[in-house]
Amino acid sequence: MKNAENTKGRILMIVARVVVYAILIFLAVLCLFSFYMLIINATRSNAQLQAGFTLMPKNNFFVNLKNAWTDASINIPRGMLNSFFIATCSAVLTTYFSALTAYGIHVYNFKLKRAAFLFIMAVMMIPPQVSAVGFIQLVYKFHLTNNYIPLIIPSIAAPVVFFYMKQYLESVLPMEMVEAARVDGSGEFRTFNTIVLPIMKPAIAVQMIFSFVSSWNNYFIPALLLDKAEMKTVPIMVAQLRSADYSKFDMGKVYMFILLAILPVLVVYIFLSKSIIKGVTAGSVKG
Amino acid sequence: MGRKLKPRKTGVSYAKWGYIFILPFFITYFIFTLTPQIMTIYNSFFENYRNGLKQIGPNFVGLRNYVALFTPDKSGTIGMLKYFGNTLILWVMGAVPQVVIALLLAVFFTSYRLNIKGQQFFKTVIYMPNLIMAAAFSMLFFTLFSTVGPVNQILLAHGIVEKSVNFLGLKISVRILISLMNFLMWFGNTTILLMAGIQGIDQNMFEAAEIDGANSLQVFFRVTLPLLAPILVYTVITAMIGGLQMFDVPQVLTNGKGTPDRASMTMVMYLNNYLGTSKNYGMAGAISVVLFIVSAGLSMFVYNSLSKQYRK
Amino acid sequence: MKKLIAMLLALVMVFALCACGQQAAPAPAAEAPAAEAPAAEAPAAEAPAAEAPAAEGKVFNIYAWNEEFKGFFEKYYTVPEGVTVNWIITPSDNNAYQDKLDTTLLNQATAPDDEKVDLFLAEADYIQKYADSDFTQDITALGVNDFSNAYKYTVQAASDENGVVKGVSFQCCPSALIYRRSIAKDVLGTDDPAEVQAKLDSWEKFEAVAADAKAKGYYMTASFAETYRPFSNNCTSAWVDENNNLQFDDQILAWIAQTEKFCENEYTLADSGIWDQPKNDQMFADGKTMCFFGPAWYFNFCMGNAQDPEKGCSGDWAICEGPAAHFWGGTWLMAPAGTDNPTLLADIMNTFINDADVCEKLVVNEAQFSNNQAVNAKFADDPSFGSEFLGGQNPVAVFSAMTDNIKWENHTIYDQACNEGLQNALQQYFQGLVDKDTALNNFYLSINEKYPDVVTP
Repeated sequence: MKNAENTKGRILMIVARVVVYAILIFLAVLCLFSFYMLIINATRSNAQLQAGFTLMPKNNFFVNLKNAWTDASINIPRGMLNSFFIATCSAVLTTYFSALTAYGIHVYNFKLKRAAFLFIMAVMMIPPQVSAVGFIQLVYKFHLTNNYIPLIIPSIAAPVVFFYMKQYLESVLPMEMVEAARVDGSGEFRTFNTIVLPIMKPAIAVQMIFSFVSSWNNYFIPALLLDKAEMKTVPIMVAQLRSADYSKFDMGKVYMFILLAILPVLVVYIFLSKSIIKGVTAGSVKG
Repeated sequence: MGRKLKPRKTGVSYAKWGYIFILPFFITYFIFTLTPQIMTIYNSFFENYRNGLKQIGPNFVGLRNYVALFTPDKSGTIGMLKYFGNTLILWVMGAVPQVVIALLLAVFFTSYRLNIKGQQFFKTVIYMPNLIMAAAFSMLFFTLFSTVGPVNQILLAHGIVEKSVNFLGLKISVRILISLMNFLMWFGNTTILLMAGIQGIDQNMFEAAEIDGANSLQVFFRVTLPLLAPILVYTVITAMIGGLQMFDVPQVLTNGKGTPDRASMTMVMYLNNYLGTSKNYGMAGAISVVLFIVSAGLSMFVYNSLSKQYRK
Repeated sequence: MKKLIAMLLALVMVFALCACGQQAAPAPAAEAPAAEAPAAEAPAAEAPAAEAPAAEGKVFNIYAWNEEFKGFFEKYYTVPEGVTVNWIITPSDNNAYQDKLDTTLLNQATAPDDEKVDLFLAEADYIQKYADSDFTQDITALGVNDFSNAYKYTVQAASDENGVVKGVSFQCCPSALIYRRSIAKDVLGTDDPAEVQAKLDSWEKFEAVAADAKAKGYYMTASFAETYRPFSNNCTSAWVDENNNLQFDDQILAWIAQTEKFCENEYTLADSGIWDQPKNDQMFADGKTMCFFGPAWYFNFCMGNAQDPEKGCSGDWAICEGPAAHFWGGTWLMAPAGTDNPTLLADIMNTFINDADVCEKLVVNEAQFSNNQAVNAKFADDPSFGSEFLGGQNPVAVFSAMTDNIKWENHTIYDQACNEGLQNALQQYFQGLVDKDTALNNFYLSINEKYPDVVTP
């Protein structure tokens, strides 16, 4: 009786596994397809690209790489440094201060607590395009064009990231732990930095990736604020390349450019995605 | 909220720490975002645009911009409602599969019993489409599905169609393509968020449920889902806000035109039309305010209904 | 994790230091006195300006949307010692270039000298917006007086409604009918430009030939919008009248009627816009399209497929005037008000229209049709000057003959919105996706989003 049930269970489990793997492989192929196309296209010369579509790589990879890397008017290595700098600062500021704000609202009781929370929830719903116009005017007024401050500092206030951190704290942080720390004589900032932040590792890692990527790919605002060649970020350069005149229009180089633009985020992502898995808090605290 | 976590009376007030911790956020927000946003709302009551390089206004016009938004055009269509409908359809087509599949995947990945091999690989891969700039991603789809693109070449070569299909001209195919792209770009992101949520759940809960003889489905509905509720609420709300703000994918795929017949024009694309040549801050402001009211209403509804359902 | 954050922070700090260092560096140079600028005006006319007067700014900012002019400038213009040229290049996608330029122009008065626009480029479709405003200045006052060699329409285009000239163009853009010789032989029995012109010199003939081409398995044109410019350049009324009413000129209506016919009978590709891949594919040797329309810049800018060494058909092309004289595009150099480098600005303008040497190089090395009649005449009369791409034909001779018939009339600041908006909206009608009223209604919507005060029918 018990054995039969076990066998039945085992067969079910095998069927479930097959189905799950099938779904996963299908989705993975779908996801990898665009990357595959990008890489293939980056190996083809402009003439080969004009000739139509193919799934087979060609031999022009290093020519394209050299063309893209040493392009006279578009300094991609410099652009990558700029983008990396902005994206890293934004990611660090965004996650740290969002966690701090979420913790502040989650743990403490103060008069304006509910008002503050509702305020952030409300402003989260305003589309960013709306404030963009006023933001640009503001930046011009302060003469902060061609400066990274308006691209980095505002990331301290990211309502969406705050909301995630708040929701996360709600599901993982027991109040007893904070009180235990207080009993041990830990200051409030120290409690946050040494006890709460480590618990939030998975959430922080996740939001770091997201904000790094969105900052790295951000085109709209930087394009309006940065016009000095040595300050430009990667997406601006890609857009510029696309609108170059057709006589110099080398699609092989364009694809190589996009590939280079994605590479760093890919590396950062793979790096951080490991720490998500490691950073599981299970068992560190009993609720 | 937060009521259940009220600290026990200890004699020391920690209230000031609450203010200190949230201060940087609010200062930054007031300077860089709130000022422009208030200007937006303010602008919506003014006639304020550029005619070429000539600035018209700002002249106070009361609610005229809002009235204009909801006045039918010559063909009897109310633009705002049409674009809201488009946005909603595109969002539902992309977000429903996105959340469902992400939830499934998150459970698969975290399941001890399934014990999936190559997790790291799959997790890495499903998030990757999000790394590509939306513009580049849309360009790729545009090339793939154009009338002379590879998809049509294959269909023609195999005799499946006789004449190339204008995928980017038909309402249904454009909408499917946009939803598919949004799905691909965001389901990995959602999966990771939900996984982080599930991993945050105390493992003892699962163990206890198993000892009590619960099967996978029961564990999912009775343990995982309720404990995941806060993160799930976050996911649904941000997906909804993201959906209502849908812009770059349809913008690039249809070259800003919302082809065909503006059937794939979303609310933010409509908003963007007013921010272009005319710098029509009056109308753009009015659209933003409507968008804000709609998003806020929907989000509050979702937040309250989902939170209540799962809160003990 | 902690290590990672620490590492990132360290990196960030290193970069931050670099970035700060950079921002600080150019600051001391910023103090060029602007007050003395007007003094430079008087002698500027004769001054060859080998070096900029010390009183003027050391930074020269040029706004452009692509690298075309930058290439010519760097090759053919020697910048005076001590002056740095900054290229501020913003792609024109989504109106980004004009947005950027407008923002800068609106802030021009309060901007520090080294951040002022000193020269910007503009295209025919929106040049009125700038020429007819106070943000540009009279270039004759700066010392650009000699327009005797420039083509008249290029000067009119850059003038405001009172005839004050605000800029110059380094190119003249008469647009020709570019045809495939081999297909012309098959359809018309000849590929001789004069004979082909005789068979295609009116729209009636053009449409009749389109039917013949179709019968032989060819397309007449490869885009629904291919014949838009030949019609629209010959309008006898403006898009928007003095009472702000949008109106359709007979030429526009004629284009719509012709395109309806062309799309219905498949004389052209309804699915392809003028910049789209289906049209460009038609330029390969195995293409089936007889006619394209375009000026001198079109050969290098858009006909890469035709010039492809493997799949192209260089030499199988020729040009003639076609059914209607017209121009297409062109880039103007505009003089912004408030520049702190007026002498240098004037010298650049004079160089690109009046320096015979530079203009010749533009023709010979860059396949441009220069905006200098004397230079062009020299090449037009030179029997040894011919283009390999055009099977030995002399394009300068053809373009020169066309210039007399080009008009600059009835242009408004609404041209870009109307020309692009109409084509975009009607394409869906030509493709059979929506009916005509819906398409026109969408056109009106797009106009009112850009210009709320225009009254649409």
